[in-house]
Amino acid sequence: MSTKVVMEALSPTMEEGRLVEWKKQEGEAVAVGDVLAEVETDKAVMELVARAGGTLLKQVVQAGTTVPVSELVAVIGEPGEKVEGPAGPPADREAPGKKAAARTQPAESQATQPTPDRNRPTSMPPASPAGPAADTNGQPAPASRPPPPAAPSGGRVKASPLARRMAAERGIDIATLPGSGPEGRVVARDVEESRPTAAKAGPAAPATAVRVPAGQPYQDVPLSQIRKTIARRLAQSIGPIPTFYLTTEVDMERAREAREGLLAAGGEKVSFNDIILKAVALALRRHPECNAWWQDDHIRYWNEVHVSMAVAIDEGLITPVIRHTDLKSLREISAESRDLAGRARERKLAPEEYTGGTFSVSNLGMLDIDEFTAVINPPEAGILAVGRMAERPVAHEGAVAIRRRMRLTMSCDHRVIDGATGARFLQTLKGMLENPLAMVY
Amino acid sequence: MSPLRIEDLGCRPYAEVLELQRELRRRRIEGELDEDVLLLVEHPPVITLGRGTRTSSLPISPAELRRHGVEVFEVERGGDVTFHGPGQLVGYPILDLRGHRQDLHWYLRSLEDVLIGALGHFRIEADRNPGLTGVWTAGRKIASIGIHVKQWVTLHGFALNVTTDLDRFDLIVPCGIRQVVMTSVAAELLRADSEGLMAEVRERVAGSFCDVFGYSVIAGSGTA
Repeated sequence: MSTKVVMEALSPTMEEGRLVEWKKQEGEAVAVGDVLAEVETDKAVMELVARAGGTLLKQVVQAGTTVPVSELVAVIGEPGEKVEGPAGPPADREAPGKKAAARTQPAESQATQPTPDRNRPTSMPPASPAGPAADTNGQPAPASRPPPPAAPSGGRVKASPLARRMAAERGIDIATLPGSGPEGRVVARDVEESRPTAAKAGPAAPATAVRVPAGQPYQDVPLSQIRKTIARRLAQSIGPIPTFYLTTEVDMERAREAREGLLAAGGEKVSFNDIILKAVALALRRHPECNAWWQDDHIRYWNEVHVSMAVAIDEGLITPVIRHTDLKSLREISAESRDLAGRARERKLAPEEYTGGTFSVSNLGMLDIDEFTAVINPPEAGILAVGRMAERPVAHEGAVAIRRRMRLTMSCDHRVIDGATGARFLQTLKGMLENPLAMVY
Repeated sequence: MSPLRIEDLGCRPYAEVLELQRELRRRRIEGELDEDVLLLVEHPPVITLGRGTRTSSLPISPAELRRHGVEVFEVERGGDVTFHGPGQLVGYPILDLRGHRQDLHWYLRSLEDVLIGALGHFRIEADRNPGLTGVWTAGRKIASIGIHVKQWVTLHGFALNVTTDLDRFDLIVPCGIRQVVMTSVAAELLRADSEGLMAEVRERVAGSFCDVFGYSVIAGSGTA
């Protein structure tokens, strides 16, 4: 006889909880009152306690999963007892106590009333233990919940949730790490001090219809000795991000003409900022060394260009990202930046819309700032601060002329970008803004 | 209603108070302690990682932070990463919720009410931000909350910025660009006399705590 363990309501207003960490592994003995897992709702973590004794036959959900209240999370029963396979463990995940072919044996008792479940058949005909269950009973596979990814070989390793997440992001098998926490538990520090085997993290997939060239979106480059020395010494000198600033003044007369030309041709309104975003993206494409993330033990040079734009909102500042900025037309950039800025002010951006940028642009020109320095948004290596466009007397073709000028200041993370590298990028950017045709050249 | 004992610990290292909290909770669960306790404390600079910590919330690696003299702890409370430091009033209520309400959301909202009430005395209009637990004023975050509950006895609690050096939040929340802007009582009041302010705030928070949770008597404060 087995007992179902469900996500408990820890508050009348709780609708779902995140299973933070399993405290009992499959096959472990469980006594009434033992802590099975930790559950997070809102900013509170509480322990999920066993209401029946026996053996933890099955963890139905993986740590990190958010589960609606009353949904099944685990099954407790007699050692060796077979459990039905609702969401189905991956075929390669075998826990003690269910080595034989899965036989149907509906759970008979349960502590809490589960809600009707659209994903989970209450009983299942015999299914081959290795194959996907849906094929054998001729029903469509449960669609709304993808099977959990195969558990790493360290499914039974004691590790903190953060350590697990860090390891997963870094492509490290947590089972290979020595744990320095209590009872040999692997904690974040252990992951951090281990050598990554592969890197997998990246920004969310673009939500737009841009044609993205195939291939890896970035290149990880190990640090050379000189890079390491530059990084260490400069960080020592001025804080965790050794920043330096490069300023240039750009003549905006031709950009203005181009913009007015577009308007006269019946085009939709395009702002100077849109033109700057486009030029920055194209300049980054030509200077990939500035389109990079500092990753502590390596530098990630992005093959894709995702420009973040700083938007002032009531509560402060947020940086929505225009994905694949370099591949979008000026019109697309204009529409998207307007949409993102509007929704940013209404606080309606999804997290993936303001993360994953590869370079940032911050513009305070509309607030009459001539020039300023912006703070780098790590792990990005650079940010461009755009000052106002103003008429200034300048020497032009042998005479003093009144020209519209604009100052750009780039903040560079010196661990990634050297002075000349940043300067060359700015030079290209300046060239594009002063001669907009260079953008399409 | 059990009485409340309030312990004013002054400035103490995080690890030490974490031990104390856990010990008090153990005693509360096992019945060795028959009163609720509120610990009020300031910590030297420390960063704590809750159960909801995303790796992206900590752009500077823990190793690098330690090199800068900031300790990093992974703890059992809910929520993401946070910073504690001098000038921040941290409260750790060790409450048996069975004597109040067995409702985690009610408890979180009540902690918010405690701080909103205390800030009202300083004419700081504070409020909740639905879905973002903590206390906010004009869109800026002034207090953070994260708790852990075992057998309905609480651990961890709230952190209210009083005269906190807000730049320190840059360690975890890169300044310049970030959704959340932190603030403090001093920043909202444009006051710099930190010494007196902390004592005032501590008193208001203790009073508001008793109001919200319905303690009629504050038991005398001893040394924990």
